[in-house]
Amino acid sequence: MILIIGGAYQGKQSYASKTYNLTDPDWKDGQTCTIEDLKTAKAVHHFHSFIRRELDEGGSVRDLAEIIWKENPDLIIVTDEVGYGIVPMDAKDREWREACGRVCTKLAAHAAQVVRVCCGIGTQLK
Amino acid sequence: MFHVVTGGSGSGKSAFAEQCILDCQGNKRIYIATMYPFDEESHRRIARHRAMRAEKKFTTIERYTDLEHLTIPQGADVLLECMSNLTANEIYQEGGAGDNTVKAILNGIHHLLEQAGNLVVVTNEVFSDGITYDPETEKYLEKLGAINCQMAQIADTVTEVVYGIPVFHKKTGEERKNEEILS
Repeated sequence: MILIIGGAYQGKQSYASKTYNLTDPDWKDGQTCTIEDLKTAKAVHHFHSFIRRELDEGGSVRDLAEIIWKENPDLIIVTDEVGYGIVPMDAKDREWREACGRVCTKLAAHAAQVVRVCCGIGTQLK
Repeated sequence: MFHVVTGGSGSGKSAFAEQCILDCQGNKRIYIATMYPFDEESHRRIARHRAMRAEKKFTTIERYTDLEHLTIPQGADVLLECMSNLTANEIYQEGGAGDNTVKAILNGIHHLLEQAGNLVVVTNEVFSDGITYDPETEKYLEKLGAINCQMAQIADTVTEVVYGIPVFHKKTGEERKNEEILS
């Protein structure tokens, strides 16, 4: 598993496509994909949006990291870092922000590589 | 040793900071809790942190303002969590330091360093969401940013925890030397 993180619009997906030779059909979009997609896809981007949708639909992401590393251990995950701002006023936003951190911390522990992309440039953290 | 630990929300910085204190292997551990429990959510957060610390033998001191006059056992290993709450308390709470917050907190940190064997301070990266806030919140950001920078200047080690991975921004001479030997 590879985790690509960074701020919004930093070229994370292009970086991943280039670095890991991915083409359009390899990608699932966290804004629209299902949990089944995450179990089978080669790569997913907007992973933070998947977490948001799960929470908005009343679901839990407590076991999400474990499901991914068990069922799709080679998945390439691209996600926005959303935990670097002022604590949001809205409780749902706070819950989502913290959930993204907790899920990604678990994923990072199991990932072979963690790369942070800033201005299109990747820095390997793990 | 003075170690500043920073990171985003849910990044695992608390667990990392607690481990730093355990690694000191002292026999007196103090946890300075700065979060004022004003609602149910903050009570939940505090309960979560207490559960994480259970069995790690910390003595908890709740301190919402005024580090300058806090006496702790000499030579203790001290974890202060977290600077973002302490700063908000000093600015907004009645009896807090108000406009004098940066100076008051840094004096407080010096006061702790005089007493502690080791000090680990957890702070927070809250500066990168690209939003311009109301002037009050901007004032808070400016003060917390100044405190973080000035703490980092006097710290031996500054670590940003990214999803549980430590990224070292400043290391002690000893650690650097070890790394050079390894490489």
